[in-house]
Amino acid sequence: MSATFRPSDPVDFVVVGAGAAGGVMAKELSTAGFRVVVLEQGPWRHEKDFTHDEVGVTLRGGMVNDQKKQPNTFRSTPNEKAVIRPAVGYCRTVGGGSVHFTANFWRFHPEDFHERSTLGPVPGADLADWPITYDDLEPYYTKAEWDLGVSGLAGSNPFDGPRSKPYPLPPMPVKSSGVLFETAAKKLGLHPFPAPVAVLSQPYKGRAACTHCGFCEAFGCEMGAKSSSLAAVIPAAVKTGKCEIRPDSYVRKIEVGKDGRVTGAIYFDSSGKEIFQRAKAVVVCANGAETPRLLLMSKSNLFPHGLANSHGNVGTRLMFDNGGYALAYFDHPLNEYKSIVVTRVLHDFYRSDPQRGFYGGAGLDARFDFLPAAFALDGMDPDSPQWGSEWKRTLGQYYTHMMGIMAHTSCLAVEQNSISLDDEVKDAWGLPAMRVTFKNHSDDIKALHFMADRQHEILAAAGAKKIWLTPGSLDGVTYSVHLMGTCRMGNDPATSVVDRNNRAHDVPNLYLVDGSSLVTCGRQQPTETIQALAYRTADHIQRAARRGEL
Amino acid sequence: MLAAACWAEVLRAQSQSPQFAWLDAPTAAEINAIACRIIPDDETPGADRAGVIWFIDRALAGYDQDKRELYQRGLRDLQAKRAAMFPGSASIAALSKDQQDQLLHATEKTDFFQMVRYHSILGFLCQPMYGGNRDQVGWKFLGLEYSMRYEPPFGYYDAQARAGTK
Repeated sequence: MSATFRPSDPVDFVVVGAGAAGGVMAKELSTAGFRVVVLEQGPWRHEKDFTHDEVGVTLRGGMVNDQKKQPNTFRSTPNEKAVIRPAVGYCRTVGGGSVHFTANFWRFHPEDFHERSTLGPVPGADLADWPITYDDLEPYYTKAEWDLGVSGLAGSNPFDGPRSKPYPLPPMPVKSSGVLFETAAKKLGLHPFPAPVAVLSQPYKGRAACTHCGFCEAFGCEMGAKSSSLAAVIPAAVKTGKCEIRPDSYVRKIEVGKDGRVTGAIYFDSSGKEIFQRAKAVVVCANGAETPRLLLMSKSNLFPHGLANSHGNVGTRLMFDNGGYALAYFDHPLNEYKSIVVTRVLHDFYRSDPQRGFYGGAGLDARFDFLPAAFALDGMDPDSPQWGSEWKRTLGQYYTHMMGIMAHTSCLAVEQNSISLDDEVKDAWGLPAMRVTFKNHSDDIKALHFMADRQHEILAAAGAKKIWLTPGSLDGVTYSVHLMGTCRMGNDPATSVVDRNNRAHDVPNLYLVDGSSLVTCGRQQPTETIQALAYRTADHIQRAARRGEL
Repeated sequence: MLAAACWAEVLRAQSQSPQFAWLDAPTAAEINAIACRIIPDDETPGADRAGVIWFIDRALAGYDQDKRELYQRGLRDLQAKRAAMFPGSASIAALSKDQQDQLLHATEKTDFFQMVRYHSILGFLCQPMYGGNRDQVGWKFLGLEYSMRYEPPFGYYDAQARAGTK
């Protein structure tokens, strides 16, 4: 049933990127009757192509951007010379990051949308309110949960906003890490709750339930039980006969006509041939790093500094995936290698509390997501030997007896943290490499320190025999897989790139939907918010199209 | 029984090994000796039993070809260090285990040692299709029972919690 369109024949929409947002756009637009071509730079892997191969998938990065073909340069501030050094990671495959993500599926809290109003300005940062509220997005959070298939327990997180519907599926069975975390957190007067996850605890819409095989994070699900856009929505898009997914298609430019409207996308196919797919409108869902890069590469007479960049905002205010990870050893086996990664979460420290003296906070989750070789390589207590008999004994003793607590911490938007085009380095297609400029705001670091103490307290209360922080847990990050903030949503075109409906201020038939439009990054776990924005944008687009605006 | 197959012995016995894709047998014996001090076969299986050397050979023949030079140069430097530390010794494999440990402790910060450590750990704990982790001895050593499907309870504490709520 998969449609096949001629590039010269303008389709209604070209969607760039078949990830968390792009998959949703493909389904929503094609089921509404529009003709859609989705251009995805990665291959189209299916369930049968996914493996449990730690060497191939995680250690050699078999599904993520290839740093040799797609190098990025990095500098911490604009005064420095950027050098080639991986700073950005994303999944190159139909389904994008939703294929290999941990599947934590958190809604942002109502206060996330107006922190600037409640907290005031933060010196050295560009904290702003969103142009939409939690209530604007709530119906689409619900839609995402019910369309994709999410397991969780409504009402169990006292810090969550109001919900119009419970989760469609009950929570996943609790793991030992969840039991220890919950018991300890309650002892400390905290409010742990069953993790909402985009994994099926029961069969749903013709998809099978999770078999607890343990290869969730960084892997594709062989059962289709992870609610990736690949498993949950792309099949419905293809089934309409109005959506063509074109994998191995690397977009280099969004083309603009004389009237200032976009006319389609130019891409390289798998053989390196350049193709121009014409379209009446373009939706870019290429992720928070590739979307601004593509706009900056899309220079024209009308947009000499890049598409939709008349005020120089494209690429700015990059936010990264901050976090710290405390590990602990326990007396009895937990066997965390089984089942999904996270079964218990707490949001008691999520809200920014001015009494702490810094902006930010974190959501905490219980997990132990080290695969065997990764743990043996560098997961163990930094004080223990790193090879030989004693090391090996400790390794054997520890692996099944471990858990950890991850703090998913805040990351402030800072204007100079950005994605831009490198002056010298090119990718394998001869295009300018992505240049990443990033340095954590000092409050981000303070949040990591504050949370590390909380992580330690909970693990100690759980009865851990030994606790340590993984290296770098207090330093902030220089490499991120959550890519956010670079094409900010806002009402003012002078300080934002897209409007409250994810439409580019500068271009009426261009939409940007992915991590790039996020104004703040909550406490990480942005996927549900990105997908809710995609459902909301799709609704808006349908109305705009009916009004003849597209 | 494969447990009886000690690769160190096999490698010592063979002057050349056509089974290797890239390594020659004398080099393999030296690398294997290093791997076997990183993950010793002691009261439980280690690098030798897991066939780590076969993993390393395949990696150097295949996806890690660009590490060959590091191995060649690193091993040459290590041999020089061995000769200096243990005059009259013939090879790394021929040193006593204590001597091997001394030599490796003296060189553990080198890129070469770190690469052999990296490859040895991968060879011990990888999917067996890569040539290492034979009979899943690495996973079994960790207490990992490999399956496509598990049922709760998964571990001690969730089992206790379930028992408590029944």
